[in-house]
Amino acid sequence: MATVREKGYSHWDGKLGERRFPWWPITRTGIQLAFRKKRFKFVFAGAFVPAFVFLVGLYVSERLEDFKSFVRESDRLLNIGPKYFSAYFTNDSLLFLIVLVLAFGAAGLIADDIKHSSLQLYFSRPLSKTDYLLGKMSVIFFFVLILTALPGLVLVIFKLIFAGSFKFFLDYPWLPLSILGYSALLTVFFAFYVLLLSALSKNARYVIVLIFGIYIFSNVLYGILNSIFRTPYMALFSVSANLQQAGAFIFGQKLPQAVPAGWSFLVLAGICVLAAVVLNRKIRSVEVIK
Amino acid sequence: MTAVIAASNLSKWYGNVLGLNDVSLEVEEGITGLLGPNGAGKSTFMKLITGQMKPNIGTVTVRGQKVWNNPEVFSGIGFCPENDVFYEDVTGWEFLTGLLRFYGYAPAEIRERAARALDIVDLAKDKDRLIRGYSRGMRQRVKVAQAIAHDPEIVILDEPLSGLDPLGKRKLIKLIKDFKSEGRTVLVSSHVLPEIEALTSRIVLVHQGKILAQGDIPYIRELIEAHPHQISVRSSDPRALAARFLGDRSIQKMTFAADGRTLVVETHKRDDFFGRLTGVVLEDGIEVEEISSPDDNLQAVFEYLVGK
Repeated sequence: MATVREKGYSHWDGKLGERRFPWWPITRTGIQLAFRKKRFKFVFAGAFVPAFVFLVGLYVSERLEDFKSFVRESDRLLNIGPKYFSAYFTNDSLLFLIVLVLAFGAAGLIADDIKHSSLQLYFSRPLSKTDYLLGKMSVIFFFVLILTALPGLVLVIFKLIFAGSFKFFLDYPWLPLSILGYSALLTVFFAFYVLLLSALSKNARYVIVLIFGIYIFSNVLYGILNSIFRTPYMALFSVSANLQQAGAFIFGQKLPQAVPAGWSFLVLAGICVLAAVVLNRKIRSVEVIK
Repeated sequence: MTAVIAASNLSKWYGNVLGLNDVSLEVEEGITGLLGPNGAGKSTFMKLITGQMKPNIGTVTVRGQKVWNNPEVFSGIGFCPENDVFYEDVTGWEFLTGLLRFYGYAPAEIRERAARALDIVDLAKDKDRLIRGYSRGMRQRVKVAQAIAHDPEIVILDEPLSGLDPLGKRKLIKLIKDFKSEGRTVLVSSHVLPEIEALTSRIVLVHQGKILAQGDIPYIRELIEAHPHQISVRSSDPRALAARFLGDRSIQKMTFAADGRTLVVETHKRDDFFGRLTGVVLEDGIEVEEISSPDDNLQAVFEYLVGK
């Protein structure tokens, strides 16, 4: 007589793919959702305007004779070197455009998850809190690197193409590293900055206001405090001034403020640490009732 | 049978609010119903066993593995939360395929699994619609689909039947029963006794963060039978209706509600009362507008148990 066995669960025995990047589905979804917004697509495309302007500048700098009447006394500006690249990376308009892109494309990264209670879906899957945060940060990495490292390196390549020689590269071999280094700094800082604010509200619209508000208010605060205390150290209160200070240091340029660049790095690092602490506390699957 | 989920002296509090108090429970294969009023601690228990919260005291294991901070254990668990948990601007298909990516399946496998899960919950033809446009029942079903799409051994369903129409409930009940026949372990919560009754006879009663009672349906029913049922009958002539029941020994108490149109009856033999009521209505032509049982629910049983 055959043995009667209890029917038990038998798991799917197919081959699972290696989960080397468990955060990738989050990143992919974040980028896809951002590009579904018409407003974001418009802003994102517009954020390449500074890169285009600087690219035109590169071209003109190699054809100064052709553009003599057009350039007139601006030829000093078109002296292509680290200063030119530093000007691209630390100009107010690029930084503001990055803030704009992140406000429209990344404000809801955590806020929407909190609003829709989606965190419990993530954390009931084989996904750790670190994977979750890495996935969200990678969305910001993607946007910021595309607006910084990519155009920066493309500008270097076009400089070599327009010049028709490698002289520029041999003169400044460290420039690509500065581009990558400053892009990495912007990327990491903005990732923490945006995710911190995104974790503070359920409403992505409020987060957009916060992203802009804090960025602009820090500048206004710097202006007010500077007019009262008359010291350049007040620049440490400004997000953009700190980023510009760090950028000038990385590109080996004269610092815009008479403050050691180390202080700006410290302020930026402090904001990142604060963000990490807040994110660690806020990212949990269940809303805590007090 | 060996316990699939084992909770030992589990306690969880949120600030000053006690969510779960010294709960020890072993869940075996098959369907187990977690029954309790809103705020009893059912969801807290489910969130603890799905590793979303760390217990303040006690331990939870699934198949002998600790749950907290062990994401790999969730490959074998499917969780359907009580509330809506999705981005409304994605389609049902995108929602499912997006979540399946976390398990490391190949793209073709993801598509196949998503299609199968949507088919099981009858959403195949609506898969390309935005979740924003889904009805309450469809949302509930897509939540169940995401819980089963990766073919988990353990399925945890938090109030899966709430908000569904009778047809939707019947379909889902059948689906959950199918899980059992497939050898899965299902833990399902509800605050409505008949819903749980339709799913399983193995019930755990939770109240104020504690396990009040656990056993099978007859035991729970027994508790209800020991507590008189309250039945409200709104009619055009409640006093005439009351007069017809005065001699009935199974009636323990009759009162008139403040509106003057409702007769409230307390009886231990609810079915007998309904049988007689039908006869009286037919014989005397008394118009009955509404019949309800205000305490024919778990809250009443709980109150009785707690009072006891």
